[in-house]
Amino acid sequence: MDFRQLLKNKEFVLLDGAMGTLIQKSGVEYDSVPETLNITHPKLIESFHRAYVQAGADVVYANTFGANAYKLKESGYTVEEIIGAGVSNAKEAVKGTGALVALDLGPIGQLMEPAGAMTFEQAYDYYKQQIIAGKDADLIVFETMTDLFELKAAVLAAKENSDKPIITTMSFEASGRTFTGVLPACAAVTLTGLGVDAVGVNCSLGPAELEPIIAEMSRYTELPLVIKANAGLPDPSSNEYDVFPDDFAESVQKLLKYGVKIIGGCCGTTPEYIEKVRKMTEENKYQPQKKSVDTTVCSASTIVEINGPRIIGERINPTGKKLFKQALVDNNIDYILTQALSQVSGGAEILDVNVGHPEIDEKLMMVRVLKAIQSVCDAPLQIDSTKPDVLEAGLRHYNGKPIVNSVNGEEASLNAVLPLVKKYGASVVGLTLDEGGIPKSADGRFAIAKRIVERAEAIGIDRRDVYIDCLTLTVSAEQEACRETLNALHRVKTELGCKTCLGVSNISFGLPNRELVTRTFLTMALEQGLDLPIVNPNIDSITGAVRAYRVLANIDKNSIEFINAYNDSAPSQPVKKSADSDIDIFTAVYSGLKSEGATVTRKLLDENTDAMKIVNEMLIPALDKVGEDFEKNKIFLPQLIQSANTAQECFEVIKAHLSKTNGDSVSKGKIILATVKGDIHDIGKNIVKVLLDNYGYTVVDLGRDVDPQLIVDTAVEQNIKMIGLSALMTTTLKSMEDTIKLVRETKELQNEDGSSKCVVFVGGAVLTKEYAMKIGADYYCKDAKESVDTAKLILG
Amino acid sequence: MITLEKLNRNEAVRYLGGAGIQMNEQMESLMSECEKEVLEKASPKFRYIELDLPCDAIMGGNDIVNHLEGCEKAILMCATLGADIDKLIRISQISDMAKAVVLDSFSSVAIEQVCNKVDEIIAEKYDGCYMTFRFSPGYGDYPLSLQQDFLRMLDAPRKIGLTTNDNFLLMPSKSVTAVMGISKNPIEKKKRGCAICNMRGKCKYRRNGEHCGF
Repeated sequence: MDFRQLLKNKEFVLLDGAMGTLIQKSGVEYDSVPETLNITHPKLIESFHRAYVQAGADVVYANTFGANAYKLKESGYTVEEIIGAGVSNAKEAVKGTGALVALDLGPIGQLMEPAGAMTFEQAYDYYKQQIIAGKDADLIVFETMTDLFELKAAVLAAKENSDKPIITTMSFEASGRTFTGVLPACAAVTLTGLGVDAVGVNCSLGPAELEPIIAEMSRYTELPLVIKANAGLPDPSSNEYDVFPDDFAESVQKLLKYGVKIIGGCCGTTPEYIEKVRKMTEENKYQPQKKSVDTTVCSASTIVEINGPRIIGERINPTGKKLFKQALVDNNIDYILTQALSQVSGGAEILDVNVGHPEIDEKLMMVRVLKAIQSVCDAPLQIDSTKPDVLEAGLRHYNGKPIVNSVNGEEASLNAVLPLVKKYGASVVGLTLDEGGIPKSADGRFAIAKRIVERAEAIGIDRRDVYIDCLTLTVSAEQEACRETLNALHRVKTELGCKTCLGVSNISFGLPNRELVTRTFLTMALEQGLDLPIVNPNIDSITGAVRAYRVLANIDKNSIEFINAYNDSAPSQPVKKSADSDIDIFTAVYSGLKSEGATVTRKLLDENTDAMKIVNEMLIPALDKVGEDFEKNKIFLPQLIQSANTAQECFEVIKAHLSKTNGDSVSKGKIILATVKGDIHDIGKNIVKVLLDNYGYTVVDLGRDVDPQLIVDTAVEQNIKMIGLSALMTTTLKSMEDTIKLVRETKELQNEDGSSKCVVFVGGAVLTKEYAMKIGADYYCKDAKESVDTAKLILG
Repeated sequence: MITLEKLNRNEAVRYLGGAGIQMNEQMESLMSECEKEVLEKASPKFRYIELDLPCDAIMGGNDIVNHLEGCEKAILMCATLGADIDKLIRISQISDMAKAVVLDSFSSVAIEQVCNKVDEIIAEKYDGCYMTFRFSPGYGDYPLSLQQDFLRMLDAPRKIGLTTNDNFLLMPSKSVTAVMGISKNPIEKKKRGCAICNMRGKCKYRRNGEHCGF
């Protein structure tokens, strides 16, 4: 019987207990990696498997948990040797018993981006190698996982390189999350979407402590649940576990009501534990869970149930936004991140991400932006593109269950997009248009919606994961269309049982007081059953309308969310001094008062003060005074930064003013900044960036752990003559030296006489001036202030 | 389980490079806000194991030999504030760099306080013995590359989510690994001091005529 038949035919499926515990008890010695025992002591490992099969295990895990290329680096063995031997030992042990062998794979051992350095592709390749090496196993298990993104890479590697059943279990702390912050609900939703055969938990805690975690998972998936708990908690001094076999089985029994079907043991458990569990299962029946949650989207750490209107923020989209387009062209990811954070603080629960622009590589940019947003923002994301390859790249790099925006009724779109939605377990927005355009009538749009839902269901997508968008047309152009949109929306909601989605803001285009029209339309749509309004959450009245609707429709019980949103909004606003008070630019900048700075600047411009006069005679002298005080140890670094930020606000006002009047740029020149290859400490570099920005320079920030070649290529492409490098560790100074060398050697960055066109300035805690000179830098800057001084010297 | 109730503000000020600077009201409230957030997001975890000396697995360079002189046992320990702190600092680097700098300082204070608590726990366990201070890879000639072996010996990736990257930097970043010597007999009280410090000649405290306090 294969594993899927086992699942179907047996009441419960028993796994083995701990391998590590038996290895430890046997006293056998190994050199750093226990998996090498597969080759040095095959009979011993085989005997452990046999003991578990005799105790009643239907599946044994091969001794391959840490057998990946990263951990085996210095073992003297290859992944193929260790896994091959591991699977064959287990196969030998189960011969003639009917028990199955699982290829057991744990975390690679490195943190993934953004917390660490391992990329999705690297993780995928590590797992792929293991999966191919373990081709003789009957199923694949990923266990003790703490990063959902790493697990996603693993599952995709398994799906794309084998057709074996997959079990995944993650390790949760008593806090209810994994080390990387993953919620059980998010794990259940995401992995179910990816199409694994069973999900669950292993390690870290005993069965009793795992109850809340199993209970949460059980609400979010209909898959059989797996539990492979520790034998309680280890005593900190003796390392002995405190739950014995009888109690272990009894605790597991209490979890059966959550839909637990697959049971084994982790650290501290032995064949005795499995035997007790087997006896317990013989007296019980599998109790499949009744999933209680309707439809959801999630990141790794935040789940959003679509059980009432939820706001999708529309601002990450270049359409009609000059600054956003410029940010895309300049690769200014921070600008996009600021948009993400401000929408979430405005009240968005999901963010739409669209980076389509003819001058850039949309696929590359989508991946870059998704990674960056996920590193600072927990809200689930909606991947928005017209190109299927961009959607797929985004889906691969999304950690959670996203929404795909969008599919429509055209044959080509249905064929290209729906399979992606299914494969990656996403939800999808379905636009009610097709080859014939947008039908004028509600009936026409409903018909397309119905077709999209049927096609989705035909390939296994739940209709609750299809969010139909009945399309908003501009009311100033087609006044009668508004009613058709609302009628279609109502029919989709009531007759198809789908969730609905709508880009709302478009309605008011071309009219005065757009906000009023948009808000009124939004309220009408909500009453017709709109679940997912795509709006600008930073307009208070729009977000407010959704919040108020949730109260009035009896969704926000006891108005709790509403009260939380508005109760403390007053005190959190900084006390605004009246704008006409006698604060001048100098005081505002010196004291770091952002909004005052902007107000005063605006006032001066209104009074026709020359913009450059404000910059050169007010802003710069104020910044210089701050810098001087910082050098004299009179103020703190954060104060210097606050002042710089205030100056930045003033610059923004001036920039906007200039682009309105004559389009003049106030940039004083471009500078590349990067933390060198191998180094991930970037706070110092980021401080320098803020200051340089605020002094009016255009900073091209290449980030951290930056390849020397990328720095050189960027300098050549954008003709940049000034490069700042940062390194925090003694060990990465070598990278700094290599980078400088490459800059000097590159022909395109040399003058005709062979001298360098580029000025390189360097900084970082472990650098000294002497060392900086030795490795060929032009300037050593001991802090951010000196970097600005150097920039002034070079670029003016 | 270690919980932190408050953070040493004077230490945070010192990390900010401003022992002698007058605090203004704005700075005070920023400090309070950051202390609170670090306390909220920190999730301190630690592990330690006892090793009999001599123990080749933890040796490298001469300074550690010196450090463990006269000790029968060594404690290998690691501690971390967890990944949420890194995320907190990362987010404020986008939204408010001034705050990020203060958060960073308080997080450094916090991991030091966690290590001091681990010291106390170990000291209690080895009551009656003498203990050296914590000696970490990177001090003097003690190679950073040992980080990876230490974490493996402590099963740290699995037990507390602490890992290194290829350059032996700890991740999450507000983390420590260290070795302490234990002896039944009194051992010469060694001070960390500047002599073994890898920042010797480059340190901002010494430049200002101060001392980092270790």
